[in-house]
Amino acid sequence: MELQASYIQIVALALFTIGLAVTLTRRNVFFVLMGIELALNAVNLSLIGFAKTLPAAASVAGQILPLFTIAVAAAEACVGLAMIILIFKSQESVDIDNYSNMKG
Amino acid sequence: MIPLWLIPLFPLVGTIVLAIIALSSSDSKQGPAESITGAVAVLFPILSFLSVVTLSVGMPVEGIRGTIGTWIDTAAIQVNIGFLFDGLSRVMLLFITGIGSLIAIYSVGYMHKDRSFARFFAYINLFLFSMTILVLGDSLLLTFLGWEGVGLCSYLLIGFWHTDLKNTKAGNKAFIVNRVGDVGFLLGMLCLVSIGGSALLSYDALNAWLLNALSLGSISNAMPLLSLAGLLFFFGCTGKSAQIPLLTWLPDAMAGPTPVSALIHAATMVTSGVYLLARLSNLFVLIPAVLNIVLFVGLLTAFWAAIAGLFQNDIKKVLAYSTISQLGYMFMAAGVAAFDVSIFHVFTHAFFKAALFLGAGAVIHSLTGEQDMRRMGGLLKKMPLTSLVMIFGFLAIIGFPGFAGFWSKDLILERLYVSGPMGPYVYAIALLTAVITAVYMGRLIIMTFFGKYRGSKENEAHIHEAPASMLIPMLLLSVGSAFAGFLWAGLIPGAEFFREMLAPVVGAAQSYAMLGHTAAHLSPWIFAALGTLAAIIGMLIAWYLFMRPVPEAKGGSEPQGFGASWTFAFDKLHEYVGIIPTKVVAWLLDVVVNTIIMKAQWLTGGIIEILGDGIRAFQVRKVRLQAALSFIGMALITILVLIYGGLL
Repeated sequence: MELQASYIQIVALALFTIGLAVTLTRRNVFFVLMGIELALNAVNLSLIGFAKTLPAAASVAGQILPLFTIAVAAAEACVGLAMIILIFKSQESVDIDNYSNMKG
Repeated sequence: MIPLWLIPLFPLVGTIVLAIIALSSSDSKQGPAESITGAVAVLFPILSFLSVVTLSVGMPVEGIRGTIGTWIDTAAIQVNIGFLFDGLSRVMLLFITGIGSLIAIYSVGYMHKDRSFARFFAYINLFLFSMTILVLGDSLLLTFLGWEGVGLCSYLLIGFWHTDLKNTKAGNKAFIVNRVGDVGFLLGMLCLVSIGGSALLSYDALNAWLLNALSLGSISNAMPLLSLAGLLFFFGCTGKSAQIPLLTWLPDAMAGPTPVSALIHAATMVTSGVYLLARLSNLFVLIPAVLNIVLFVGLLTAFWAAIAGLFQNDIKKVLAYSTISQLGYMFMAAGVAAFDVSIFHVFTHAFFKAALFLGAGAVIHSLTGEQDMRRMGGLLKKMPLTSLVMIFGFLAIIGFPGFAGFWSKDLILERLYVSGPMGPYVYAIALLTAVITAVYMGRLIIMTFFGKYRGSKENEAHIHEAPASMLIPMLLLSVGSAFAGFLWAGLIPGAEFFREMLAPVVGAAQSYAMLGHTAAHLSPWIFAALGTLAAIIGMLIAWYLFMRPVPEAKGGSEPQGFGASWTFAFDKLHEYVGIIPTKVVAWLLDVVVNTIIMKAQWLTGGIIEILGDGIRAFQVRKVRLQAALSFIGMALITILVLIYGGLL
């Protein structure tokens, strides 16, 4: 049986929802970051899934694009982690709800 | 038949080996063993010379061509790494590698006990590599690679003793002034590319294109760009070959070690401009207006530098100005489309000027670095062989009958006279310059070798003849400066070997330039007699003027008074035309523009800060709540777009 494109979308949607839920419910800042990463990768997966439905030439382009996204995401994760470490140093807390003193 | 790429390969290998030796011994105090380093340093130039000789013997008339690969392969430009070994590059390569080998041997003696022994020879080998690439390249772009390479080596070697600020400044000056000329070369190439694509950068293709356009009559369309290209190439040549207006770097370049002055700043590198003119002879004969400029610039340079040579007290500076003056002669010859004669003068000049420089180097070496001629004198008895070499070089440069310079200078003067309506006037000035040449060179010989010794006592104690490794190259070069001229002795029927060698390359161009000229028929003996007379009159003037006690040396060796203003006229010109405007622009950028930009930056930063302060008020206390809100907002937008189909 061939892998249906819609199944990939279902998996991607499930991953995205999990990621979003983690982001919104967890208080530990590292889990929040993980959730964001998960959601991002779900989007990548979704992109590949849609690319699969296209004719071969365009399909390849769609499948390559996530590679670049992953590369950029890796860089972004570095920056994100570095920022979190700096925030952690100044706040001495990993609770994201404590990071609210930017307002005045 | 051995492949062409061996010729540049040998010096390149030498450079790499010597660089490794120099780097690996950089921590030790002693430096690498001079015997091994010296052997490597001399071996590779000699191998290169031997391959040139081997190739020269069996060369067919049309030359040898060899491509070793693709260099640049883009849609706009395609250039191959190809070599062209024909009559012109053969002559150039023979004396470049030959004299290069001799000077490498000489340097082993001269640089004895210098801590940077290996570094010096790495540079020399790199120079020979670049110079062979320059001459051997079959396209302008490859020639440009060598052109830049020799410029770099010139810079490195002028500032070789880099602990002295004066030397590094001289190196910088040479490099920067050369860059100005190089811009001309680059733009010239650009002109050619815009006429007919990158194919025209290859010499063969350029010649074929010019011939084709000439026969079709379509050349007149391209004429403005061709003239511009020729002018720009000539501007490049004035930089490399130290002609007006870019000549100020060459006298300063004497800060380098003397073998470097002999090899780079007299025999080989500075003549690459003349080489380029001869190589592009087919282009230049089509644009006689530019050739007239070449003639005029050459004439002016030769005369100006000859006068400047009279005022110098530094023995190497005299030789530097005489080099500029002789280069002026070469450009004059090229200016009347006598390219073979100009290359012949390059050839003979390489011998006698290298001999003169090496002789001067031996004098400086034995006087432990004294370069001021007012502190020399009477060295004839103490250094007889060196004096002999110098006197041979002297007789050659003033054009004493039979010596190398006589034949080539005589041919130049003759071609100048018959070149056209302006010929006799140009000839007269060139002949006057020859007289002045004899005067200042006579002054050099008299002040150095005759009279009484005027230097310090401690130097006098150890004046000695140079060691064998220095003497043998000097003597070989002095033999060359005596006999090299017989390769094309205009007065002896049949002795035209040199002209015949160059004829396949420049012959067609020259006969085109002579088209419609009715050459004045004068006996070559008249020119020879007048040239000889000029040399003898000059010598007599020098004898009368300078065979008397020399005033005691005070202060530096720079000329004073009128001499200084004449010598540094072009430095002044550069000051006003180049340096001061650049400084003004730099000041404008630094103070005015920079301030404006900084103010603009502060303004932008200030606005953002104020805005940020305002927006901060909107922050919700809980980060997660905020993320959820932004997600809901995003979802709402998506739903709206879905409903209204993006028509919102």
